[in-house]
Amino acid sequence: MKRRALLGAIGSGSALGIAGCLTRDDGGDEEGDGTLTVVTYESMIDTEDSAGPWLKERFEDEFDAELEWEQLPDGGINHYVQRADRDAGIDADVYLGLNVDDLVRVDDQLEDGALFRELDDDRLERADRVRDEFALGDPHGRTLTYDMGYISLVYDETEVAEPASLEALTEPEYEDALLAQNAQKADSGQAFLLWTIDAFGEDGYLDYWQRLEDNGVRVLDGWSESYSGAYMEGERSMVVSYSTDQVYANRFDYDFSRHQVAFPDDQGYANPEGMAIFEGAGDADLAYDFFDFVLSSEAQAEIATRNVQYPAVADEHVDLDEEFDEYAHTPEEMVSFGYDDLQGNLDGWVEDWAQEFAGQ
Amino acid sequence: MSLADRLVVDRRSAGAASAWLERRALSLAALGTAAVLVVVLYLPVGLVFVEALLEDGSPTLGHVAEVVTDPFYFGVLADVFAEPLAIGDHLGALVGWLGGISIAVTLASPVPGLDLPVPWLAVDLPPVRKGLFGFTAYQAALSTVASVAIGLPAAYILANYEFRGRRTLRSLTILPFVLPGIMVAVGFYAMFGRTGTLNTLLGAVGLGPFAFVETSPLAIVILAHAFYNAPLVARLTVSAWESVDARTVETARSLGASPRRAFRDVVVPQLVPAVLTGALLTFIFTFMTFPIVLALGGLQLATVEVWIYDRVQRLAYGEAASLAILETVLSLGLTYAYLRYESARAGLSQAPSPPPREALFPDVRTALSPRRLAILGYGLVALVLFVGPLASLVVGSFTDGSGFTLRNYAFLLERQLEGASFQTRPVPAIRNSLLFGLATLAVAVPMGVVISVLTVRAGRSGRLVDTLAMLPLAVSGVVFGIGLLQGLVFGIPLPGGWRFQVTGAVAIVAAHAVAAYPFVTRNVSPLLATLDPAMVESARALGASRTRALLDVELPLVASGIVAGAAFAFAVSIGEFSSTVILASGSEHYTMPVAVERYLGRRSGPAIAMGTLLLAVTAASFVVVDRVGGRYEL
Repeated sequence: MKRRALLGAIGSGSALGIAGCLTRDDGGDEEGDGTLTVVTYESMIDTEDSAGPWLKERFEDEFDAELEWEQLPDGGINHYVQRADRDAGIDADVYLGLNVDDLVRVDDQLEDGALFRELDDDRLERADRVRDEFALGDPHGRTLTYDMGYISLVYDETEVAEPASLEALTEPEYEDALLAQNAQKADSGQAFLLWTIDAFGEDGYLDYWQRLEDNGVRVLDGWSESYSGAYMEGERSMVVSYSTDQVYANRFDYDFSRHQVAFPDDQGYANPEGMAIFEGAGDADLAYDFFDFVLSSEAQAEIATRNVQYPAVADEHVDLDEEFDEYAHTPEEMVSFGYDDLQGNLDGWVEDWAQEFAGQ
Repeated sequence: MSLADRLVVDRRSAGAASAWLERRALSLAALGTAAVLVVVLYLPVGLVFVEALLEDGSPTLGHVAEVVTDPFYFGVLADVFAEPLAIGDHLGALVGWLGGISIAVTLASPVPGLDLPVPWLAVDLPPVRKGLFGFTAYQAALSTVASVAIGLPAAYILANYEFRGRRTLRSLTILPFVLPGIMVAVGFYAMFGRTGTLNTLLGAVGLGPFAFVETSPLAIVILAHAFYNAPLVARLTVSAWESVDARTVETARSLGASPRRAFRDVVVPQLVPAVLTGALLTFIFTFMTFPIVLALGGLQLATVEVWIYDRVQRLAYGEAASLAILETVLSLGLTYAYLRYESARAGLSQAPSPPPREALFPDVRTALSPRRLAILGYGLVALVLFVGPLASLVVGSFTDGSGFTLRNYAFLLERQLEGASFQTRPVPAIRNSLLFGLATLAVAVPMGVVISVLTVRAGRSGRLVDTLAMLPLAVSGVVFGIGLLQGLVFGIPLPGGWRFQVTGAVAIVAAHAVAAYPFVTRNVSPLLATLDPAMVESARALGASRTRALLDVELPLVASGIVAGAAFAFAVSIGEFSSTVILASGSEHYTMPVAVERYLGRRSGPAIAMGTLLLAVTAASFVVVDRVGGRYEL
């Protein structure tokens, strides 16, 4: 009996090895088949209260179409850059959740203006609702911003005072206080790094970080490790995080003293998120319909409340509930790098910064 | 021909077919193993590695040379690699460094928080730039020492003492192995953080709070590595200890050896291969450690794998592949050195007849003996290091700002009942994990056994094959993932617009089996090597085919190794994340660790609840696996 099991297992093993599968590209989606495939990050569809299911239901009702969510693969934008590079075919029609650096990466690796279509504003009714300052600054006009978030500091007011400026973080008062994230990996970490580059310049930011390091800054892996791990277990008194922190603290009954939001120098780094249509999209009309739908007042409010992000449209086009107004804080001044600032610079900035810490 | 004649012929040809199959079973199995390895390992990894050796289509060593001569990667060694022939300069630099060492006798207070001056020999070494590789090897060496030091006492206790729940405890030593990195990080902060469980407990007796994590990030990372790997060392050693032939100890004792002497000369040599295997695996794993160093320690403790990840993110494959090749060369080099040692020691033995176990606490007097107190002390350490983070994680899944809550489990239930098709549901994740685990077991065990059988007595060439068979453990996880993506998910273009693709459940099981079979091989090979070849030869001389001799003679004698390897194979499959997430992308084939990652939002509660579910399911399956497997062990 045991022997038979062994032989059977060997048989299935070898079958596995050769049972590859031959496929042939059939040319992708048919034109106008009424299905829109949208790829997006997991917190849009798979975490608590995600906006994704609501968007799908409403969009399908309103446009008599089908919306298919596709979870963004592990490599993020790189996954699609590689697919395009290797002619491996892209099934999705729309990418929801693009950052500026994603566009820079696309153009560096493929060619200028690649992967996504240039948007035709005439086919969009609500494109002009988006605040100008939230645009990603893509010279090829491929994206439309649908929401955004501010990076700020979250601190414990029982342990430290609100830091007035980035410079203050290097002072003894904030010794061993700050948790940040690895800019090589985490969006929040990269945003904070870019904020310091904006403040101290290309020539001064490494010196600033040297002083931060001397003052005991800890750079952990991602946002979850530093926030859900270290900060929430009382490890340190300050963490680089999102300015909507108190919305969560309120929803889950946490003590507000450890959820104070600080905007050093009255600034916060803004991370607008955009949507774009893949070059090979089957049903572009439906994609434009989707964009208009996402920018509608109702959808903007739902995305803001469920994902706890700021709407992209001007105030008169969206009604937010009181919870959001009360607990989501906005800096007086936003800092943000556009496409032109990042292109050709970003990789070098991050690498120089990372080498300051590692391999010593 | 009469009916009876025909039946005889049929039976004969059926018999001939099965005899043919039996004769060739080993070759067929080897062929199958090779096929799986080619498709799921060599092809994907080769696709990426080749990027290091090509520049615009022509072969080059430029990428590798750039890496080894970069002081950022290789520290002081970079100069040596850059100009290997300038021996005089290098010696001069070494002498200069030696000259900079100063030794002084001082007073120091080594216990933090306690002003207790102790005479201290202060050795002041001038700083050496270790580079990324140097630091990575350094922390891996420290982690290995810690894992062996923490794992061996556990093995000693589990193998030599009898107590309630011993078998269950032995089964549960696998748990840390399956836990996703983020869960370990959150568990460690929840246990050792400033407001964590340990400080809460100490605070109750008026101590603390202590900054366990902050005081030494390196120490906490090493402890986290020991959390993963000490149980590995313990498991390997326990199964070796249980197959020690107690009669050899009795013989030594009857010849006048003291218990200590008998232990040193008879038992230890039989344990050393297992301990060294554990140490080797620990070193390789912690050399290629990735999420945990940055999650607990910070960017200052970055390892080579962190840079490989970054280079892959930037699509700089030449550099990523060069770094990965150097990692692999180093890991395989160590493996080869170890295998030479292992084969040099291979002796002949032995029908396992494990030594009898003593009762741990038979009576109060024995319980107060120094040895029992030491065991109790170790138990306390193990409780803090292993149970602490796991228990804190479980507690965390029932907690939010208002205290006790069932919200996180309500989320899981709601998702299961009402989740949309594009969302990740808990029950399919559990089902997939278990099915993939069983399928992995069925594929990896024969693969591992076949490789062991083919390499054990093949001398030097066998050792080489055996070394290469460790490749899955010696390849950067990030690179393996990219290779799977580019090779199997995107597919290899063939003429005529066809693509060769391998995805879905088959690909996931194959990838898991490839990651798992080295554990089977490393558990089986040492035992197989100690079998007396005369036994197989006699069976063959009596007319048994090679396969029959393997099945009837060898395998029953190494059953304990197979069972131990099978348990690891199952665990590797349950815990595997990086290749599963790539191969399961866009399908229903997600597993429990993938679900944990996907539930991780701005609030970690739902993910931690899923992690707790992962722990519970794994614990239950291992109690079952070990009970079932245990029947074959003795």
